[in-house]
Amino acid sequence: MWGELFREMIFVTIGTYIGFDRLVKKMDEIASNLNEEVVMQIGNTKYEPKNSKWFKFLDNEKIDELYNKADIIIAHDGAGTLLSAISLNKPTVIVPRLKKYGECEYENKFDLAEALKNKGRIVVIYDVEQLKDAIQKVKSLVYMPSERDKRLISFLKEYIATLDRGIKNGKKYQ
Amino acid sequence: MKIGLICNMGGHLTEMLFLMEAFDKHEIFFITYNDPRINKLNYKKYLLGYIGTDFCKMVRAFFKIFNILIKEKPNLIISTGSEIAIPAFIFAKLMGIKSIYIETWSRVNNKSRTGRILYFVTDVFLVQWQDLLKEYGKKARYVGGVI
Repeated sequence: MWGELFREMIFVTIGTYIGFDRLVKKMDEIASNLNEEVVMQIGNTKYEPKNSKWFKFLDNEKIDELYNKADIIIAHDGAGTLLSAISLNKPTVIVPRLKKYGECEYENKFDLAEALKNKGRIVVIYDVEQLKDAIQKVKSLVYMPSERDKRLISFLKEYIATLDRGIKNGKKYQ
Repeated sequence: MKIGLICNMGGHLTEMLFLMEAFDKHEIFFITYNDPRINKLNYKKYLLGYIGTDFCKMVRAFFKIFNILIKEKPNLIISTGSEIAIPAFIFAKLMGIKSIYIETWSRVNNKSRTGRILYFVTDVFLVQWQDLLKEYGKKARYVGGVI
C-alpha cells in the first residue's frame, strides 16, 4: 500500500498533432515492467494503451498539473511540450517524430531536440527500442538549476515602454 | 496601450504564454486557432478555423483578421508564428501598426516559411537561436529565447 503511495510517475505526452503510435505502443509494452506509474496523453494516436492510464487531450490547467506531478517526462519533439518540460527542469526523454513513419510532415524539429540534447536532464532517442535504457539514463542525470533567460522579455518590455511614451506624447509613432 | 498577440495553437501559443510578463499593465487580445486547450485561456480572444497551407482558408482569414484589427485598433502586434500571422502583419504594415515577429523556438538553424515572408513586412524581426541569424539578413536580431 505504501509503495503505491510513493510510486513515481512517468508522464508521456505527444501533443495535439498527428498520432504517435510508435512511442505510445512501445511505452505501453514496457509499462508493466517499470516501477513507475505511467500516464499517457495520446492525442490522435490510434493505439489504445492497456497497461497504463491514458487520455487523449486535456486543457492547459490539467496538463500543467501532470507536468508538475511527473517525475520523468517522455515527449515528442514539439516546441510547446518541450518548453513546459524544460521550464520545470524535469528529466525528459525526447523521441523525435520521424517522417518515414508518417509521424510528421516536415522533419525540421530534429534541430530542437539536438540543440537541447546537451542541456540539463535531457536524453534524445530516435529508436523506441532504447526507451527503457533512456528512462534509466535520464534518472541518473544531475539536477542543474538554470536561470531563465529573461533577455527577450526585457527587450519586449523596453520596446513597448518606448512605443507607449511616444503615443502618450502625442507623436504618431516613434 | 493595446497589443494584439497573434499565434497558432500548440507550441506557438505556449511560447507566447511564456512571454506574458512583458505585457503587464497593457490591454491585450489574442488571435489564434480554436483548439481543445483554448477554453481555459483567460484573455480576450478571437478564434479562427485552421488555415494551414489552404489558399481559400487564407483568403477568408484575411477578411476576418482585417475586421478584428479595424475593431481593436492595436498599437502593436506580436507573433511567435506561424501562418495565422501573415494577414495580420500585412494589414499592420498598411495601417501603420507596429509589429514584432518572433521566429518560433523550434527553428534552430533553418527558416520557417512564415518567417521568410514576414521578414520583409515586420518592423522588428527576432530569432531565438544565435545560429539562425546567419540564415536571415541584417534585420534579424537575437535577444535571447522564450526560455
